[in-house]
Amino acid sequence: MSYKAIIADDEKELRTYLKRMLAETWPQLEICGEAINGKEALKMVDAYAPHVAFLDIKMPGLSGLDVARKIADTCRIVFITAFDQYAVEAFEHEAVDYLVKPVTKERLLQTINRLKKQLQSSPEPPDGLAEMITKVLTNLQNNAHAGYRYLQWIKTQHKTNVRLISVEEVDYFQAGDKYTLVITAQEEALIKKSIKELSQELDPQKFWQIHRGTIVNVSRIENVGRSLTGRGTLKLKNRPDTLTVSRQYLHLFKQM
Amino acid sequence: MEQQYETEFIFKYWLKFKNILMDGIIIGAANTMFALAATVIGPFKNFLPNFIMAHSLGITVSLAILFSVLIFRPRTWKLFLLIAGIDICFGLFIGLQISFIIMRYFFDIVLSWQTQNLGPQAMLAGIMASAVILYFLTTKIRLRYRNEMIEQEKIKRMAVEKESLLANLRMLQAQIEPHFLFNTLSNILSLIDTKPDKGKSMLLDLTKYLRTSLSRTLPEKTMLSQEITMIKAYLDIQKIRMDERLNYTIDVPDNLWQHPFPPMLLQPLVENALKHGLEPKVEGGEIVIRAIRDNGLLKVEVSDTGLGFSDFDTSRVGITNVRERLGLLFGEKGRLIIEENKPHGVLAIIEVPISEL
Repeated sequence: MSYKAIIADDEKELRTYLKRMLAETWPQLEICGEAINGKEALKMVDAYAPHVAFLDIKMPGLSGLDVARKIADTCRIVFITAFDQYAVEAFEHEAVDYLVKPVTKERLLQTINRLKKQLQSSPEPPDGLAEMITKVLTNLQNNAHAGYRYLQWIKTQHKTNVRLISVEEVDYFQAGDKYTLVITAQEEALIKKSIKELSQELDPQKFWQIHRGTIVNVSRIENVGRSLTGRGTLKLKNRPDTLTVSRQYLHLFKQM
Repeated sequence: MEQQYETEFIFKYWLKFKNILMDGIIIGAANTMFALAATVIGPFKNFLPNFIMAHSLGITVSLAILFSVLIFRPRTWKLFLLIAGIDICFGLFIGLQISFIIMRYFFDIVLSWQTQNLGPQAMLAGIMASAVILYFLTTKIRLRYRNEMIEQEKIKRMAVEKESLLANLRMLQAQIEPHFLFNTLSNILSLIDTKPDKGKSMLLDLTKYLRTSLSRTLPEKTMLSQEITMIKAYLDIQKIRMDERLNYTIDVPDNLWQHPFPPMLLQPLVENALKHGLEPKVEGGEIVIRAIRDNGLLKVEVSDTGLGFSDFDTSRVGITNVRERLGLLFGEKGRLIIEENKPHGVLAIIEVPISEL
């Protein structure tokens, strides 16, 4: 019996290369479609109902993993990746087929032999595949977003442009009438986000609220002294300004 | 500046009880020596009165100096010497009176200011002894202060060095992305059979790119042209990979071509524009690199028409590195500005002061 396959990769030369390699190692396999992005791959699976889909992971629009999740119960999937430790680990863990670029003949033969065996025993893909891929996807997403749970960029209006200020650049935030003032070494900008919202979104390890209306970048603190009224006065590095630490937040500086 | 705070250090030094005790023992030993000397050459051949007198003078003078330093915290050496001088005269006078009282009450020896010209002689000996001890102690404290300053300076310098080393290391690590490298190699492998000429030129570009990025372990002075050459090689490689999805323009005026420009600042911005802006976008887009001189600043812009800020809330390591390096090289005068490119995409601008290049 002859089998059909599609190849999806945004890089033309790599599609050609894989097609040639497959022609050498599995001449009976008919390549019925070459997709240049995820959406096209989906269309081709619908149109040609291939037995196997070779999917590059990194594609514009829909990624190979996104495509795979949608087609997992209609065809078998072989992922292709150039270098992605996390993905490879996840594939190994879930026993999903994958190829690493540049694809070698030996590795391709292994994959083909396994595919042939599976297809002979049953032309339908196994049931758990979609679940396996979903698992891989969530794993990868968790990995990618670990550490970036907090606000990283502040969008500000600068003349007619939107400017992005990295939170690492900010010396401190100060509440104003309607807006919040963002103060960096080089500029001051107004944003709509309130101190309350900021205090929830910023990394509490790096930013401390020291007053109802003030959040300070911890790395900019020079020292903290006590005033006669029991409040604290906070001096900043490389700036003349002093900030007030209200009594409620003085405990932050107990060990300093 | 430093001189001014040396006396401050005496203050801090004597705030510690341990240090006061140490100096007290030294002064006590010295005074015992002086008493011995006085027994040999002075008018009294008996050790006891000399011993009592030397110590009562020594203790009053030391206490006077100690407390006036702790209270007045003299900022300059002149002020310190003035205070110490007053303390010495005043302390010696009081100390002498105290020693007379002790002698009379406990040992039945009646002495007075006039006895054998005792007063002026004791004052003179006391002033000399105080001067010697004071000189010795301040020198000791000053030495210790110097060492401490040197130590602090060393720690500070090591911290700065470590920071710059780390920044360089991170820069190098971020430099060559394995994903890019393996993808390029696969492309070359594919082209060797089908289009050997194209494969050859891609291999040459990769060599050019690797040579520049691997050889720069230390941030030496480089020209803008070197950066641009490397970026051009990088973009040519990406152009083969992405085909018509990528277009680029490099607009650097002739007079800026040989302008000095630090390495590894521009490259991460171009890589970011590609990786986060254009590669994930189905239609692809354009990258424009432009350099201008403006108001004592050299501005280099990298703009793309990619996905823009939607993908921006994750930290981009490249950008953090660029900012860190700009800070290390130029302090607050070096800036990285990131804005929205119109109608879409990201515009990144590096501003560096020409005078410091």
